[in-house]
Amino acid sequence: MLAEILNLRKLIVPIVVLGLAVIFGLNLLDWNLNKSFFNDMLRVDNFSVAFGGLAIFATLLVLIMSGDYYQKEQGYISDFTAILIFILVGGLMMLSFANLTMLFLGVETLSIALYIMAGSRRFDIRSNEAGFKYFLMGSFASAFLLFGMALIFGTSGSFNIYAIAEYTANAQGNISPLFYTGMVLVIFAMLFKVSAAPFHFWAPDVYEGAPALITAYMSTLVKVVGFAALYKLLTVVFFYTSVKTGLILNIVAIATLLVGNLMALAQDNFKRLLAYSGISHAGYLMLLMMASQEQPTGALLFYGLGYVLSTLAAFAVAIPVFEAAGSEKIDAFNGLGKKQPLLAASLSMAMLGLAGIPPFVGFLGKYYIFTESLHAGFFYTTLIAIISSIIGVYYYFKVIVAMYGKPGNDQKVTFSFTYALVLALTLALSLYLGIRPGAILNIF
Amino acid sequence: MTSDIVFFLLAAISVFTALMVVFSKSPIYSVMWLIACFFSIAGHYVMLNAQFLAIVHIIVYAGAIMVLMLFTVMLLNLNKESEPHKSILSKSIGIITGGMLFLVLLAAMRSTQLGPYSAPETTDVGFVQKVGMKLFTDYLLPFEMTSVLFIAAMIGSVVLAKKERNI
Amino acid sequence: MSELVNTSTPQNWYLLLSTLLFSIGVMGVLIRRNAIIILMCIELMLNSVNLLLVSFSAYAGNTDGQVFVFFIMVVAAAEVAVGLALLVSIYRNLGSTDIDVLSKLKG
Repeated sequence: MLAEILNLRKLIVPIVVLGLAVIFGLNLLDWNLNKSFFNDMLRVDNFSVAFGGLAIFATLLVLIMSGDYYQKEQGYISDFTAILIFILVGGLMMLSFANLTMLFLGVETLSIALYIMAGSRRFDIRSNEAGFKYFLMGSFASAFLLFGMALIFGTSGSFNIYAIAEYTANAQGNISPLFYTGMVLVIFAMLFKVSAAPFHFWAPDVYEGAPALITAYMSTLVKVVGFAALYKLLTVVFFYTSVKTGLILNIVAIATLLVGNLMALAQDNFKRLLAYSGISHAGYLMLLMMASQEQPTGALLFYGLGYVLSTLAAFAVAIPVFEAAGSEKIDAFNGLGKKQPLLAASLSMAMLGLAGIPPFVGFLGKYYIFTESLHAGFFYTTLIAIISSIIGVYYYFKVIVAMYGKPGNDQKVTFSFTYALVLALTLALSLYLGIRPGAILNIF
Repeated sequence: MTSDIVFFLLAAISVFTALMVVFSKSPIYSVMWLIACFFSIAGHYVMLNAQFLAIVHIIVYAGAIMVLMLFTVMLLNLNKESEPHKSILSKSIGIITGGMLFLVLLAAMRSTQLGPYSAPETTDVGFVQKVGMKLFTDYLLPFEMTSVLFIAAMIGSVVLAKKERNI
Repeated sequence: MSELVNTSTPQNWYLLLSTLLFSIGVMGVLIRRNAIIILMCIELMLNSVNLLLVSFSAYAGNTDGQVFVFFIMVVAAAEVAVGLALLVSIYRNLGSTDIDVLSKLKG
């Protein structure tokens, strides 16, 4: 599982890609292993294998693109590749932790590496600003996470998540209020990392300022891993105290849905648009967090996979277009439908996938989420989610309208092989899953 | 009890210096107050029988982190009081938020009774041997993982702070 | 050695002290505009957590808390290094570390 570290010495992109592919396979061999390692620091179970596979897959796709993306900065490619792998290591720690120490170190490895990547365009002031803003807000949230963990440790006497769960199960009705305070602080800090609504304000700025490839990575891997870690916290550590978290999660879910979808309507920058779309997707995933008592792991994995596929496909088209147009506005797509119909069609498919239009994976993902949350009895919240997903269709169509409806210049976009490979992979998978969802949904 | 008096003395120093960090005008003074605050916290560690941590705390914070900060302040010549005055409104919002947080946490605390101090079987909880044993047996994996964290931070700071445009 | 050790102070006082320090740190982050001072306030918050963990660990006779403090120190050091590197590169481009200058990204 953790052999990724060995890849550090192999600095060229193809070798790293190959290594990751091997690790992806090795990871899948761990299915049904259910073992704990290193004195119960890590516990590998089907949950961590499935989400770990998703994380490695997303990293693989991003790395395939990075060779072309960093063509102008060849001198730094080794550094950037290494840091991308470190981000993955942090993410995997967050997925398979059995001890709060590992969760904390995973979150920090992931975030510190991301601060660097967000600020890695050193002579672009917007990238600097994105990195620094992310850094200040992120470490502020980390402090809250730590304070919460300290309180949990103080009341339960252990960092092991199963021991903490045992403590809450045994001390029913007699749990110290300090434990609840710590629980709320930890949940808030995790909500910050996944950019749910009252804690979302950093996301649009950081997504806009960071280099486009890093934005793609941040909005896919980090969000999915963050939600998986939060889900694990809610289903293992805070399982017996969930009565107290229900209302908070409910409010956060509604706020996230409204903020994400309404703010996205007014955006004219594509990366900002995707940032707000990411926030609204966080809102749908929050519905699953609310229903976590019902263990909707399959729906979470399915939705996460669908989101990753659609977003990466969108970025695989958008990055070359941005580079050709020299701008990241939605206007950059003007006239793409006439110039390069194939590219435009692919982006339309990605956008429809994100909006949740039937033949694509996004539709079924939303459908399963709404079913699960209705099943768990959250009628009004589900209603709001459905309404806001209808609003959401409008801003995704804005991009499609720009491509087909508006005239643009005749400058062709150079589209290299690696981007095409990623695009083909993601779209094919998202179509396949849209038709046969059972392949992922029922593996648990 | 003497230990109570020492506790209150140290606590007063910590809180006072922490407030000075927040309210002093120039970054240099803030750094100095923060170092004083760290020393008083190290004093608390000694009181709590965590001698090893107290030493590490002083080496890491006062010795490394604060020197780094001081170095940056000097290097960038940040010592001028250029900070524009923020409106009273946003300032008071900050203070009110901080106070509210404190009160909320206090409320949670008031309703708890932590059990009375029960003497642990061993009094050498904080000694090097105990901490070392724990660190290199149970917590071996996190310990190794911190090296990943450090490499990432190291590569990152070098990449970010480099001056040349091209290689 | 053991006369030095503080066993009479109720643990609640340590709880109170670290909460107070934590709140002061939060307040500092919210009211100051100078990036480097904000960084220091975050350090202060982390230190209050450390104090809390050490006190819990001492009163429960459990070394785990102290090991955790160790990791927090490691992370704090890494964070400061990265943060200051970002700060230096911002200063090079802008000539200021006032966070109000950082408003290129809005909308």
